[in-house]
Amino acid sequence: MATPRPIRSMDPYAEQFWSYTQIKEFRLQKCSECGKFRWPPGPTCDRCLSDEFEWTLMAGRGKILSWTTFHRSYFPEYPAPHTTIVLELDEGPLFAAYPVKIGPEDLSEGMELSLRWTDGLDEFGDYNLPVFGPLTE
Amino acid sequence: MATSLDRERLGPLKDSVAIVGVGETDYGSDYRGAGGKAVAKGEARYDSYTLASRALKRALDDAGLNKDDIDGLCVANLSSERACELWGMNPRWSGGGDAAQSIIEATMAINCGLCTTVALVYGNAQRSMNTAYGGSRVTGGGITSYFYYAPWGLTSQGALYALLFQRHKLLYGTTEEQLGAIPVAFRKHACMNPNAVMQKPITIDDYLNARYIAEPLRLFDYCLINDGGVAIIVRRADMAKDCRQPPIMVSGFGWSEENVDATQLRPRLKDFYHTAHRDVAAQVYPMAGVTPQDIDVFATYDSFSVHLLASLEGFGFCKEGEGGPFVQEGRIEIGGDLPCNTSGGMLSESYMQSWNHQPELVRQLRGGLGQRQVQGAEVAQYVHDVAGKCKSIIYTKGN
Ligand SMILES: [Zn+2]
Repeated sequence: MATPRPIRSMDPYAEQFWSYTQIKEFRLQKCSECGKFRWPPGPTCDRCLSDEFEWTLMAGRGKILSWTTFHRSYFPEYPAPHTTIVLELDEGPLFAAYPVKIGPEDLSEGMELSLRWTDGLDEFGDYNLPVFGPLTE
Repeated sequence: MATSLDRERLGPLKDSVAIVGVGETDYGSDYRGAGGKAVAKGEARYDSYTLASRALKRALDDAGLNKDDIDGLCVANLSSERACELWGMNPRWSGGGDAAQSIIEATMAINCGLCTTVALVYGNAQRSMNTAYGGSRVTGGGITSYFYYAPWGLTSQGALYALLFQRHKLLYGTTEEQLGAIPVAFRKHACMNPNAVMQKPITIDDYLNARYIAEPLRLFDYCLINDGGVAIIVRRADMAKDCRQPPIMVSGFGWSEENVDATQLRPRLKDFYHTAHRDVAAQVYPMAGVTPQDIDVFATYDSFSVHLLASLEGFGFCKEGEGGPFVQEGRIEIGGDLPCNTSGGMLSESYMQSWNHQPELVRQLRGGLGQRQVQGAEVAQYVHDVAGKCKSIIYTKGN
């Protein structure tokens, strides 16, 4: 059985994002008019209001902007201590996740990380969760 | 964003309304309960309407007005219909939101001629109701980032402010010890305020020895969770002299929001919300005819200590990145250059989600607060910044 995780926020656009994760594809919407990437998924480009977009495969690399370590447990699925990070993806959007194969003491500003997948399960079903780890292990 | 601010129309609104009455519940004794011990979370003692009603009665008494003088109403965290029904009111106009938003709205409604005297009323039994600000019960209150990252285990407003402070540390070398000066100062202020929940002083060592919640933020960087109510009476300036208390004028206000890419946390982590701060500063100071150097008492929304660093830098009290050194050596304490959150704020007086700051600034300008009084206070500023929804009010002593 896949790993239970706190529930995802779901709408028709998020549904599509998560369905790509089932085949381990990290795709974000890219505006067909102006080329802006967006996250979280949604109906409209915030720059030009176009509703035309393509689900575009991301390189899966980003630089660390910040991180925080929980010393209090908020979710039973994530007992403390638990570290989360925010990255700036090469394509532009910021993306929050958690780091794998690297401890909080080894994180640094601007450090490059790359995409990993880990399994997930909630009441919407099975999926894969995009997380980030060192470029080389 | 197109420049749409019309200073010619805004200018005459300076000093057009006054705060004539304020009322608050007994934050400290309600928190400690009859036995003097902190009331447990989820132990229902009050509902929000009980607290709001009590605050309203006190604000009306403070102003020397009665409920039939009220013709406009802004409620927060309450149903407007139920509140009106409880208080026997049929207002001609109603609004609502946070404290600064409500003061701006009331000023607009009064100046439009819709009403003359507006009661702004807030009540929150969040401790009695065991309200959650992190974990699986969070709904976000319209702010998507508060719940969106739950699948990764990222939750709570505190963690989002921890990310902001971590970024500040990385960019500017700000230290946790520097940040600690803020909760230590606010606690010192609370100890001079008999109505504050927290009454025991803390030192910087107490601060550093306390546990992390979302590192790099510690226990004392977090606001309280307590029950309370606040009411404020806003009245047309020419009618304010009929009231019991000297009027405190609403001399300037500003409003700007930074919502683009908010769920991504871009304005939070790449900008510290300074674009909104600068935009509000460009409205509020010229309207009031003052500069940051003229501010005698300052209060900022402080659900987390780090709010103060962001607002001091964004409003130009110090340069970007210099908030850490700025808050040292008693500068933000009563007696210092810029006394901040003199009631103890939401960290140490009461977590009234912006509401308790307004009565405190009004009282400081009225004077007579004893050891807590900022000497010669004539100009006071409140800065509101919740996830980039920024507003500010400047209050001055009436003539
Ligand atoms: Zn576009």
